[in-house]
Amino acid sequence: MPVITLILLGSILLLPAAALLSLRWASRSGQLGRFDRAALLPFDEEEPVGRATDQILGDNRR
Amino acid sequence: MSYGPLLFLGILFTLASSWVGLVLMPQRQLGALGQHTDTNTAAVYPQARAGEAQQGAEHYRALGCVYCHTQQVRPEGYGADIARGWGRRRTVSRDYIHDKPVMLGTMRTGPDLTNIGERQSDYSWHYKHLYNPQITSAGSVMPPYPFLFETRPIGPMGPSTNALALEGAFAPAPGQEVVPTLRARQLVEYLRSLKSSGDLPEAPVKKEEAQ
Amino acid sequence: MSSTTASKTLQAILPGDFSNEDFRRAKLAEIDASCRTPVLFFFVSGLLWLLAGTLFALVASIKLHTPGFLAGWESLTFGIVRTVHLNTVVYGFCSQAAVGVAIWLMCRLCRVPLVAPGIVTVANLFYNVGVTVGIGGILAGDSTGIEWLEMPRYATPILFVSYALIAVWTIITFRLRAERHLYVSQWYLLAAVLWFPWLYGTAQVMLIVEPVRGVVQAAVNWWFAHNVLGLWFTPIGLAAIYYFIPKVIGRPIHSYYLSVLGFWSLALFYNWNGMHHLVGGPLPAWMITVSIVASVMMLIPVLTVAINHHSTMIGHFGKLRHSPTLRFIVFGAVSYTLASLQGVLSALRSFSEIAHFTHHTVAHAHLGMYAFFAMVMFGSMYYILPRITGREWPSNALISVHFWGVAIGIVLYVVVLSAAGLQQGRMMNDPTVKFLDVVKFTIPYLQIRTVSGLLMALGHAAFVVNFGWLLVRMFAPYRKPVVSILAGAEIASPSGK
Repeated sequence: MPVITLILLGSILLLPAAALLSLRWASRSGQLGRFDRAALLPFDEEEPVGRATDQILGDNRR
Repeated sequence: MSYGPLLFLGILFTLASSWVGLVLMPQRQLGALGQHTDTNTAAVYPQARAGEAQQGAEHYRALGCVYCHTQQVRPEGYGADIARGWGRRRTVSRDYIHDKPVMLGTMRTGPDLTNIGERQSDYSWHYKHLYNPQITSAGSVMPPYPFLFETRPIGPMGPSTNALALEGAFAPAPGQEVVPTLRARQLVEYLRSLKSSGDLPEAPVKKEEAQ
Repeated sequence: MSSTTASKTLQAILPGDFSNEDFRRAKLAEIDASCRTPVLFFFVSGLLWLLAGTLFALVASIKLHTPGFLAGWESLTFGIVRTVHLNTVVYGFCSQAAVGVAIWLMCRLCRVPLVAPGIVTVANLFYNVGVTVGIGGILAGDSTGIEWLEMPRYATPILFVSYALIAVWTIITFRLRAERHLYVSQWYLLAAVLWFPWLYGTAQVMLIVEPVRGVVQAAVNWWFAHNVLGLWFTPIGLAAIYYFIPKVIGRPIHSYYLSVLGFWSLALFYNWNGMHHLVGGPLPAWMITVSIVASVMMLIPVLTVAINHHSTMIGHFGKLRHSPTLRFIVFGAVSYTLASLQGVLSALRSFSEIAHFTHHTVAHAHLGMYAFFAMVMFGSMYYILPRITGREWPSNALISVHFWGVAIGIVLYVVVLSAAGLQQGRMMNDPTVKFLDVVKFTIPYLQIRTVSGLLMALGHAAFVVNFGWLLVRMFAPYRKPVVSILAGAEIASPSGK
């Protein structure tokens, strides 16, 4: 069997298997819980949620 | 919660999948495709291009002809490629085994050129068309290629046999002649070599038409 | 490091009174300042390439309806000038803008200043040498003739080194992050910088260093060319959208779970799309079919992202009037949805039969690369530049000229060429219509395209003037303007929403 066929067969079997294993590992070590909190990451105490930025055009010019 | 490693693996696996599927698989299936020998006539197809035509391919590449002209004939019933006379059969993978690079093209600002060598074998038509497409195809948007030709005074021996027969507005000044340069000659040899009509088991040419 | 510690550090270094609002941004200002030199290098050189690319675009566009225009210049023949246009805007402008935005976003979200910014500046110099050599090579007739990979083999190793350096530096910044949690933009950025060198390396080896046989080249070519858009530009564009929409309107993304779904479905399906560029071509049907299926699956990430962004924007559309960033970014986000839906349609065999070899495809490419990606980059630059230079945009009028010039220009371009392309395709598929009549049919539309190109050129000129003015101000003493974006936005948003 040519080498390239072996690589192909191997990767077709190994890729999904590795993907499943890493998902299982991630899930068991708690990496998949509550990640919606990450939505707040663009904000901080300097520019908190609720404060718009970049409002420089139009009637804001005073 | 820090899932850098998982992210990293996911990024690698997803691209690896199509790298295997759309790069390695085609290479396995078609990477060693060879010529076909007809069992009856012993004809070998496709043949490698002769030297001059191959040099012409380099000019075709450098001047970017591929951006307006395809070199692929779609199957009968899919588009009007065959009805327009651009080929007698669809093109298949084997037609391209000698091409480096393969210039299938993605745009038909101009017509398909897969079989231009078969459709138009007249040298003088090609030269005039390259010198100024308006001579042979008025209204075309193809650019003229005056830099592939030399305009020079007619020598003491009279006009060159290679000189283009130009008339009217396209004629050079009196006492001058327009002759193709080496590059123009090679490019035309390439265009005349473009023929993908060999009979193949995977793409047979209809017999009555092949006559 | 909290903002108070950062402020104390600054206070220790700098003399003067740092009370109240100048102070509040100390931490962000420190991060922004660390990115200043490399990001400015990428933006400035990117914009210079954009100007060159615009000029080449206009020449190419005029040539396609007036073929006698500049016909005597070999280096400006249509096949070359069009290729130079593509390479200057894709590798000169878009990629450099993308790297600038990616580096700044990565630092902001990792909450660390850029370490050793000099390395990134060196990568930029390498990169520009590579692009210059590559463009020069194409002009000299050394184009490889492979779409999206035309730069000759003596230019690409320089580019590859630069890409690798940028990727390594992005990953180092990522590893040094002060914030352990990851935002979805970081996923996209990390993916883009890891995917691109892999794509580029594979394509270079299999097409240029050691070309594979026959149509396998076409498969590798379109696997690469589609993924440049899908796995390099799109992720960086989406990363910017995911950051700037929430940031400008001051509201978190509508659903973080949807954004996770969007990312992984994009990662799974986009990279299988490439062969739909070869529908009807001389490749085995399975390859093309696989790509058509994957193209249709792209509906999942595209609609997910569209719903998510739209839901975030609901109730905040009024802010479009006040924020240049938001205008460009929302324009880009809407165009992303439209471009992707058009892409799904174009991948179908029945539609491709008509549209494939026509100006419809050209319009589609510009909808993706310009109306989506370039617009998002413009928007990002409007946000980033004042913050890294510490200077306000000098002219609001120029911002408006930029936005309306390019917005009207690209809409005109895409609408007119999409429609004309379909008719062109129908005529080409009717063997009773002479080919020259198809060509003549397209000419008025190609002339409109030149007009739209002039509008976009006007917009670019306005942007470059404003940018240059800002750079001049950077070297002048700082004068506090009437409206300051740098001092916080409570001035600007009375509703506080």
